[in-house]
Amino acid sequence: MMHWLRTQGWKYLGLVLVLYSIVMGMVVPLHSGISARTPLSADAGDTVAMHVEGYNTHFAQAQEELRAWLMLDDSLTLAASRIAVQDDRHLVATFVLPPLLPTEKQVANFTLVIDNPIDGVTLLPEALFVRQDTVAPQAVVWQGGPEMARLHKGPALTFPFRNILRETIRNTYFHVPMWFAMILVFIGSVVYSIRYLRRQQPTDDAYAAALTTTGIVLGMLGLFTGMIWANYTWGRPWSGDIKQNMTAIALLVYLAYFVLRYSLEDREVRARVSAAYNVFAFAALIPLIFVIPRLTDSLHPGNGGNPAIGSEDLDNTMRLVFYPAVIGWTLIGYWISQLLWRINRLEERLLDEE
Amino acid sequence: MKLHLAASLVFLLLPLASAWSQSEQTDFLRQTGMIYVVVAVMAVIFVGIGIYLIYIDRKLTRLENQISDHDQNG
Repeated sequence: MMHWLRTQGWKYLGLVLVLYSIVMGMVVPLHSGISARTPLSADAGDTVAMHVEGYNTHFAQAQEELRAWLMLDDSLTLAASRIAVQDDRHLVATFVLPPLLPTEKQVANFTLVIDNPIDGVTLLPEALFVRQDTVAPQAVVWQGGPEMARLHKGPALTFPFRNILRETIRNTYFHVPMWFAMILVFIGSVVYSIRYLRRQQPTDDAYAAALTTTGIVLGMLGLFTGMIWANYTWGRPWSGDIKQNMTAIALLVYLAYFVLRYSLEDREVRARVSAAYNVFAFAALIPLIFVIPRLTDSLHPGNGGNPAIGSEDLDNTMRLVFYPAVIGWTLIGYWISQLLWRINRLEERLLDEE
Repeated sequence: MKLHLAASLVFLLLPLASAWSQSEQTDFLRQTGMIYVVVAVMAVIFVGIGIYLIYIDRKLTRLENQISDHDQNG
């Protein structure tokens, strides 16, 4: 039993984990969100009828228990004086803006907050820009109406709603694990290359080559899936984003590994040179993917000096799907590499017999 | 052989990506919260793994032929 687990079980574990990540990644709904609203701006003193379009909301079902606020600076809130529900996804909230705003600036930007027991609390930052001609924060007497209290939690198992991403947030379980699996497969590859350089066993070289092939396939899948995702969220498949450029270079460095391999006839020379090159390629991969993108601004989350994945980008529900996906794809990557390596080993044995 | 695999991946997927990039704001993939972008991403992964499987399959076929040749000669 233990033997089976060690030799075969991890392959099935990989399949199960990837299956789990596909099912969970597609089935768990998004949290409610605010996908559109008009108007975008108003003048102080206006009465604003804000048309709100919700996403995954249940306005009609919640009806009487719906509440809405405009929020400034976390502390000052202005409750809607009237909420007219049109259907589950549309409502009109009326706000009576005061003639003076408690800020020293001419423009204040308000966050829209909608709360109901079914969907929980839903936020849209920078929902309404309010202009004022007279700036007199001292003269303001704020009458915000009912306070923002007793907010509801909403359904427990949801993925965050992000206005730019919407449902494509699910790509976190398909696009990102490609890169994580690629790195983990390349780590395996460089370990075998170093082992080859130390012990000169041909099987180590064959394993390193097989893992590198799989790593490149995973990297290319990461690149192409990223281009599709970017087209619909960043507007273009290739924005010359630092991480896009650097990963493309990293993949070219790894492709050169095979150019090198196939240009060398002698088996021993080929193994030694490609093992040394693989160590170099891995040494280039680390700064290209982990260091340079953080030194400058990037469209990718977690760059420009930030930690790789912050809680803003990956909440606890997402971790529940994301990490199994990474482990699953890595195991599948090693499995496919092993198949390649076994074919290679048989070929070599045949060559030796002849 | 491995470079063939790489090239075929590029040539298969690049036109798809560029076709999508030229489409309208209100195209099919943008409907219902852009869920079809996720479907497209999953399809690309499936196609990629599929091409890789075909490559491994051909390698194995070549080996089988070599073995049968070897058995006939030996």
